[in-house]
Amino acid sequence: MTAIEVTQLSALIIFAANALLVAGLIALKTVHRSRARRHHRRKTQYMALISRHVTYANCTDPITNRMASDPAFLDALIDVRNAVVGPEVETLSGIVDRHGVIALQEARLRSQFPLGRRLRAAVALAELGDESAAATLMDHLADREPEVRIQAARGLGRMKWTPAIDAIVARFPVETPWVRARFADTLLGFGAAATWPLIAYIRVNHHFEREGPVAAIRTLAALGDDQAAQPLIEVLRNATDVEVRIATIEALGLLGSLRSAPALRNQARSADWRVRAKAMTAIGDIGDAGSVDIIASGLNDANWWVRRNAAAALTRVKGGVDRLCAALGGDDQYAAHAAAEALTEAGEVGAARQRLDDGRPLERDRVLVERLIGVGA
Amino acid sequence: MIHQVLEWTGYVILVYFILMQGYMTFLGARSAAALRRTHHLGRYGRITEMLSSRTTPPVSIVIPAYNEAAGIVDAVRSMSLVRYPRFEIVVTNDGSTDDTLALLIEAFGLERVTIPYRPDIDTAPIKGIYRGRGAVDITLIDKASGGRADALNAGLNAARYPYALCTDADVILDPECLMRAMQRVVEDRERTVAVGGNIRPLNGSRLELGHLIDASVPKGLVARMQVLEYIRTFLASRPAWSEMNALPLVSGAFGVWKRSAVIAVGGFTNGHLGEDMDLTMRLHRHHMDNRIPYRIVYEPSAVIWTEVPDTLRVLRRQRIRWHRGLMTAVKDFMPMTFNPRYGLVGTVTWAAMVLFEYLAPIVELAGWLIIPVALAVGALNIASFGWLVLIALGMGLMNSLVALLLDESYGYFNSPSDTSRLLVMAMIENLGMRQITVVWRMRALFGGGAVRSWGDMERRGVASLGARP
Repeated sequence: MTAIEVTQLSALIIFAANALLVAGLIALKTVHRSRARRHHRRKTQYMALISRHVTYANCTDPITNRMASDPAFLDALIDVRNAVVGPEVETLSGIVDRHGVIALQEARLRSQFPLGRRLRAAVALAELGDESAAATLMDHLADREPEVRIQAARGLGRMKWTPAIDAIVARFPVETPWVRARFADTLLGFGAAATWPLIAYIRVNHHFEREGPVAAIRTLAALGDDQAAQPLIEVLRNATDVEVRIATIEALGLLGSLRSAPALRNQARSADWRVRAKAMTAIGDIGDAGSVDIIASGLNDANWWVRRNAAAALTRVKGGVDRLCAALGGDDQYAAHAAAEALTEAGEVGAARQRLDDGRPLERDRVLVERLIGVGA
Repeated sequence: MIHQVLEWTGYVILVYFILMQGYMTFLGARSAAALRRTHHLGRYGRITEMLSSRTTPPVSIVIPAYNEAAGIVDAVRSMSLVRYPRFEIVVTNDGSTDDTLALLIEAFGLERVTIPYRPDIDTAPIKGIYRGRGAVDITLIDKASGGRADALNAGLNAARYPYALCTDADVILDPECLMRAMQRVVEDRERTVAVGGNIRPLNGSRLELGHLIDASVPKGLVARMQVLEYIRTFLASRPAWSEMNALPLVSGAFGVWKRSAVIAVGGFTNGHLGEDMDLTMRLHRHHMDNRIPYRIVYEPSAVIWTEVPDTLRVLRRQRIRWHRGLMTAVKDFMPMTFNPRYGLVGTVTWAAMVLFEYLAPIVELAGWLIIPVALAVGALNIASFGWLVLIALGMGLMNSLVALLLDESYGYFNSPSDTSRLLVMAMIENLGMRQITVVWRMRALFGGGAVRSWGDMERRGVASLGARP
């Protein structure tokens, strides 16, 4: 074959490939458009049909098994499921059971591929929240695909399947941060039932791992169950990992229990600036007026974050604003800066100006306004 | 002798062309695989759970503004509607000579405050800081003029959150773009230092109240060509680079940056015409030099819309500026090029950037110039030349068609008229328009054409964009 023949052949192949690509693109766009239109139309019809069945127990409009395997029917079921409450959910579960919707989605989830179909099945099972799928979803908490694991946990959370709590918590150390975050969201849905499994997990594991216990502590904080305060104080006392301590301090602050004040005051004297900074914020969060001296000492800390957090904490503690005003006129320029920022952030300046305008100022208001607005006014 | 020179030049250009097409085919295939997975996850994944999650990190949206009076208020309002649980907006007024500052103060009820400003990155002097007390958590930094990079650095200094979305005042954010970009951060907070988004031309689309209602392909050829270019760039190459953790550029119009990492490398470089590419490459270099695990990723489903030049005059200025930015970056990062110490960034993506972006206009122009010479000395085989030109045009068309196929999963531009406009554009793009950009890039190489630090677009404001045809 000569060079010119090779060139000619290459050109022909390229143009044939381009013709195929153009045809493929046009076909794909046409198919997508028409499929989306048909899907929308069928889904609307199915929603009306399912709604009739949910509303009238004796509805005789047929739902065939063929319909039940239609993705549009599944989408309609999910939409109706998210719109109904009480006895209507039972009726809907009846439809789902009669037509084998759950079994079909379970089979799709168990198949090896394609990814899109497995994901759709996982989402459907999670959204429908039917307890008959609980065993399958439990199996798929360890699925190879992260998004399937997330959906499995979400489904179990939606049906409040409490045996799943331990299984979800046990996955914390092996999961990616994204999946762990979504698992934590699911656990929040279980409410106080998740508190003790999380505490048990933290107690056992915080000496050996970091990521899992930290995520579990943050979940506890978000749950806001006061029962967690005392166990967390014990964890704080024993923890050796600085990240675990920081997460625990933050959690204690968010739980807001005054019982944790002594433990937090200890942490405010830590050699690690991150621990000190977090302790300042936590003490501010629980609003412990007895700690005002130790927070005020944080204004003179060598670290910027500690000063900033101490100043912000003082705005939330009784008597703290007076200490900030004192720091504004003090010798420590860094403390004055931190105080200025915190007072501005907390809206104290605006409040002081308002009181001055109303003719009922506090003793500190004039100084505060002059020092913080004077420059810009 | 001249025959031999022409023959060898021809061979060099042919090998260059084959290498470039091979590289683009590889990127297209790798991107297709990456996009297929993100498409499924984007369709079925429940990203909205981030809205109620306590684990979602807060973000500062940093908007540099210079003489943006026409649209800054609408832009900030539009951005304040982005779906994200916790964010602040930091606007930096870079010494505007119009009413940008006054309009912002009035619209958002801002008050001047005397809070300390931490100059983690050196910037031009700060004249004042303003804060709002309304529903929008907004901080306005008024500073002396210093250019876009300087304004971004001031915004990063004032940002309170660990991640900053650096964007422009003339873009429309898709409501979910920040969530989608931050999903990549949450996946791996330790290592993720930057996330780039998918930028799409806004021209021709319909807007209402700062939101995109209907995306369509513009009628004008100049804007339409850029629609195709953007699709090629953002869908047929960046996903592949991202998969290899070798993304050489996080676009300035939409980039989520880890604040501490940006500060560690000294922020955006003042006066650099490609400050986004420069920062991305410095982040690569810094982390590899210091053996710090990191990743810089691209998220195709994090979409923002921006107006692109619709006249050749403005487009010429923009392309000259871009190529100048690339030239500076090539010079700055030359030691990384083909350097195995810098992994795939040095040996593949940056090397390809130098070979196929920086040198492309020179090679392409050389190719066009030897044709008349070869013809004059009788060294041109007209038949072979014709077939080679057809192959070149065919491969150019194929690159565009592959990109359009990849774009199909996003569901934009579905009407028959949009499809036909894009197909026609793909066919005619290589018949003149591409050659014009080669000439512009050559001008940039030889120092021609004036450039502006603050870009080339005429400011019209996001609210008025949708009103134009």
